[in-house]
Amino acid sequence: MCGIIGYTGTENDVQEVLMTGLSGLEYRGYDSAGLAIANGSLAVHKREGEVSALENALPEMTLDGLAGIGHTRWSTHGPPSDENAHPHTDCESRVAVVHNGIIENYQSLREDLTADGHEFNSDTDTEAIPHLIGSALEAGVAPEQAFRQAVDRLEGSYAVAAVFQGEETIYVARNESPLVLGVGDDGHYLASDVPAFLEYTDRVIYLEDGQFARVSPSGIIVTDEQGAVVDTAIDTVDWDPEDAGKSGYDHYMLKEIHEQPTALRKCLRERVSELEHEITVEELATLECSGPVQFVACGTSYHAALYGARLLRENGISAQCFLASEYDAQSIPVSDETLVVGVTQSGETADTMGALRMANQAGATTLALTNVVGSSAARECDHVMYIRAGPEIGVAATKTFVSQQAALTLLSSVLSGAESPTLIKQLRGLPEKLQHVLDESTAQEVSAEFVDADAYFFIGRGYNAPVALEGALKMKEITYKHAEGFAAGELKHGPLALVTEQTPVFALVTGDTAAKTIGNIKEVEARGAPVIAVTDRPAEVGQYASHVLEVPTAGPYLTPILANVQLQLVSYWVAAQLDRSIDKPRNLAKSVTVD
Amino acid sequence: MSLTSAVVLAGGEGSRLRPLTSNRPKPLLPAATRPILEHVFDQLIAAGITDITVVVGYKHNRVQAHFGSTYRNVPLTYVVQEQQLGSGHALLAAESEIDETVLVVNGDQFVESTIISDVLAAHNGDSVGTLGVLTKLQIGSYGGVLVGDGTVAEIVENPQDDRPYQLNAGVYAFEPEIFDAIYEADPQAGEYSLTDAISELLDDSEVQAAISEGTWVDATYPWDLLDISFELLGSGHTDEQCAVTVAESATVHDSAVIREPVVIAPDCEIGAGAVVGPYACLGENTTVGSNAAIERSVLDADTRVETGATVIDCVTGVGVTIGPGTTIPGGPGDVRVGDRVFEDEALGALLSDRVTDDGGSTYVPGTVVGSETTIEAGATVRGTISENTEVRS
Repeated sequence: MCGIIGYTGTENDVQEVLMTGLSGLEYRGYDSAGLAIANGSLAVHKREGEVSALENALPEMTLDGLAGIGHTRWSTHGPPSDENAHPHTDCESRVAVVHNGIIENYQSLREDLTADGHEFNSDTDTEAIPHLIGSALEAGVAPEQAFRQAVDRLEGSYAVAAVFQGEETIYVARNESPLVLGVGDDGHYLASDVPAFLEYTDRVIYLEDGQFARVSPSGIIVTDEQGAVVDTAIDTVDWDPEDAGKSGYDHYMLKEIHEQPTALRKCLRERVSELEHEITVEELATLECSGPVQFVACGTSYHAALYGARLLRENGISAQCFLASEYDAQSIPVSDETLVVGVTQSGETADTMGALRMANQAGATTLALTNVVGSSAARECDHVMYIRAGPEIGVAATKTFVSQQAALTLLSSVLSGAESPTLIKQLRGLPEKLQHVLDESTAQEVSAEFVDADAYFFIGRGYNAPVALEGALKMKEITYKHAEGFAAGELKHGPLALVTEQTPVFALVTGDTAAKTIGNIKEVEARGAPVIAVTDRPAEVGQYASHVLEVPTAGPYLTPILANVQLQLVSYWVAAQLDRSIDKPRNLAKSVTVD
Repeated sequence: MSLTSAVVLAGGEGSRLRPLTSNRPKPLLPAATRPILEHVFDQLIAAGITDITVVVGYKHNRVQAHFGSTYRNVPLTYVVQEQQLGSGHALLAAESEIDETVLVVNGDQFVESTIISDVLAAHNGDSVGTLGVLTKLQIGSYGGVLVGDGTVAEIVENPQDDRPYQLNAGVYAFEPEIFDAIYEADPQAGEYSLTDAISELLDDSEVQAAISEGTWVDATYPWDLLDISFELLGSGHTDEQCAVTVAESATVHDSAVIREPVVIAPDCEIGAGAVVGPYACLGENTTVGSNAAIERSVLDADTRVETGATVIDCVTGVGVTIGPGTTIPGGPGDVRVGDRVFEDEALGALLSDRVTDDGGSTYVPGTVVGSETTIEAGATVRGTISENTEVRS
């Protein structure tokens, strides 16, 4: 959930690298931020709030030093405060530590350390680590050994980095939390994800679970749990660091909504051929599966998975969908015939990773559907398919959802062997149709009328049901307003009691489920609620709705993808009028790397 | 003088290119297969520019979404000109981004980098401005510049007399004094033009003229996109980054015939027996059905030419479908734009964004079809047809 950056070397200014990295990481978590720079002593600065608060708190003179670490925090243990912000130090301020993940045995560690006379200044689980290291230093152990001994005592998930007073080496370790190392010419980097240092280098080493690394200006040495040196490969990442700019849009979210046609083109490129009448996904060439398929995912990715599971079932493959945090391979039948597909944008989502690992142990074949090359999911699963959406900075997922839906359409075709010429043609036309929605959407005007609503409801059937859920999630995330999505048929089984004149209902009316959904619209209208129909047949549906948001027809499977874009825009414009922190909604983080 | 930053004016619609501009401004219309503005950026980069401010206005989301925050590693800063009140007004929008000498270029015309370099070389700081001029026989509706002794004597928009005018290439180097001149010049019909501001400068200071021989092409009317594209095809300016004419991700059936010069953008698919070219520019993700024939045409992204269609002297917007067996036999034809009729233009047909032709239709030369109009199968299509209509057979 939190973000880590570290740098040692002479090619750049340490403080500048850390601050740049922290700004780039802000979207991962942002209730506090801090940094530590090692020179003769150890300079530690940290503040509650966004990275700009830390910037204001720094001394006017740039902090000199050869090595430093920084952190943006999203609270898990203890509320956001200056004290709870990372880095944390031992009693003598000889070592500073930043950590991402959760130390499960921190209570007992803390009790032991307190009994030994260590004083804790924060409520965090992390603070146990510097005190453990401090104890070892006290006993005369050298820094590297002290760090290893401390990490050996940790249970749970962690990416951890430590700097020592007077040392230019940064020590790092990883277990079930993301950590990547960057290779420069006269300096080296580490971060929880690549964009934090992409401005400085695109050459990276992915650290594996259980590995340690010694990062010094002259080189990076990776070792295993026993301390044996491990040969590592240097990969080159091809993300453009400037992709992270807002390019003139007020928010990343709006930029990313407008990038969706391009994202779709990249997702479909060289995978869909009208000439050959085939859909191929190169990276899945060795995947063989005739089901059953189980999807595991969270949040927006779960909604994409619901869409994907339905597609597979329609193509004759048994498919189920599970919230990753509720997945339990012990109580769900899993065999070596089972394919478990983890849908995760970041490839680091802890809940999804947990489910995938469980599935792997139960003997299933695993497939990661992710946006991030080299992510934990991509490396740990038996197979990986990339959605190629490009970096997404806004916390509320938009273009990655659309790319997930498109990728799942391809996956369903690859698994089932169903290659309908109509679908292929519709897929090739999809980016342009999405552009059409963006060109002509009246969502801004429509949403202006409903900014003050008490609550928002979203209904749809079939492939539109997951889109309704996603529409409501987006609305919750960025407007902080009450919103719920329902399968349209469920409305009368309870939720209809909530419908009033103050609760606009967004109805997704496309494809062969339209007639039944119109029936549901009438139920809503009878209660006086305004109905906003998102539809590809405005002439027919318009008479039942107070407003129409039109989408082009793209067939039964793909029109719901277009309908979703209208809902993204509605949420965006409601949030914009409420002046919400759209790219960084309160209490939320982009990459949820805690269970 | 060496300058590394430039302001590109890309805020205007380019209304004479309607109906192609219904969803995007003229700078995003294709010259060959890439937007005019992309070519402008390429030429700026070739002239050593490393930092670009783009003034956007009409349908600016499309420009921002197309280019993002960098182009070929050159950072792009967007400035939104909410109302488009002339080229001077556009430059004012970027005033806060500028504190010293600045290069200003129109984003809706193709200029070769030599024109840019010639302006930069001529601008030596002694004068408050330098503008690039070209020797052309026809000044037409562009800016005419009277040059004497290397400096601008007079600048006239759309000159009617027969004095020896040179053409204003729309490439300028300005000292910050230009902003005062824009403020001081009287607006003409509510518009603040750079031409008026330059005239204002001429009252009490010197503006140099950099005479250049570089290539300069502009599309005034929609059918000019054909000429501008073919000129680029002939000169190798179609794609600065890769010299191939068929993109790697495009697929061409073994039995299809490609007649150079052509340029085929990524993700295109060309079916069996199709004939593409000579002089054909296929935008991204264009589909050409089996046995279709395309010649002397510029088809923008996501256009579908179905089986057996014939497409000659044709310009399409994005997402156009030309149905099976439809014939667009090519120009010349009379084209009506507003109240004017242009006779014998080499235009087979102009189909704007998302026009759907169901097939088996025939187009009378010079036909212009507005966005999202549907042509029923078997129709004969002629004249100027407005957007969102249905043409029955």
